[in-house]
Amino acid sequence: MDILDTEGSTPMRIQLRKVAASLLAFAALLGGATVGVAQATDGGHAHAAKHHKKKHHHHKSKIPQHNGGDHDSDNNGGPSDGDGNI
Amino acid sequence: MARVTATATSSRRLLLLAGLALVAALALAGCGGGARPAATAAPGAFAWLTPAAAPSGWTVAHLPSGRASLAYPPGWRSIHTDPGTFSAALMGRHGTIRGYLNATPQQGAETLANWARFRPDHNKDEGDFNVVTEASALGLNFRTGSGSCVMDHYATVRAHYREIACLVHGSRANTVVVGATLPRDWARLGPQVERAISSLAT
Repeated sequence: MDILDTEGSTPMRIQLRKVAASLLAFAALLGGATVGVAQATDGGHAHAAKHHKKKHHHHKSKIPQHNGGDHDSDNNGGPSDGDGNI
Repeated sequence: MARVTATATSSRRLLLLAGLALVAALALAGCGGGARPAATAAPGAFAWLTPAAAPSGWTVAHLPSGRASLAYPPGWRSIHTDPGTFSAALMGRHGTIRGYLNATPQQGAETLANWARFRPDHNKDEGDFNVVTEASALGLNFRTGSGSCVMDHYATVRAHYREIACLVHGSRANTVVVGATLPRDWARLGPQVERAISSLAT
């Protein structure tokens, strides 16, 4: 019984607590990191959406319709071609 | 003795709790890791891409620069297009384009990395509306290089279209290839568009 009482049990109790505390800390770090990654991913999309919304206002002009522009198909309501500008 | 037993039990409970928390955190990490690929690409949507020369009977068109070629099926014809590019179409009634193919040298800020966003944005800039991205993928193999593709649909002032648009970095040039059809024609013409895009050499 004495073994369990003080001298034997105290180191064991401390050891168990240390292991438990380490596990809790590791779990908290892992959970936090995972949430951080998810937030970074979502944030990236949100940032991209904002960036592209702004981009529309200054870096390209809309293609002329109703046979405007260079009179090709995408000036007449046809499919978009592969150009980067008009 | 009772105190010691209670303390030991408490420690064991703490250990059990910590273990459960660790399992939960690992499960959460697993979910997070699994969510990432689904958000970025749908390679299955491009399983049709089988780089190969055009089938017999198809016409092979070349860009004026000679740095890219694209085949189009019988019944389609070349149409007026921007200088330096090539376009072919299957025409419907009243001048409506039912099927469309285009090859264009890379001109703007598009990259393999930004293509999935650049192309739908470009369509909006061209005056298309209700642009909806269906799928995108990077690192796809073409006959002479690799590329990024996006599948989307949109409306113009005259019609709705579903398109596949790819930016291909090839051994001779970087080329954009586009194929589109009216949504109602996709079941019939979509495979032809996919076959044409698979024939791109650049």
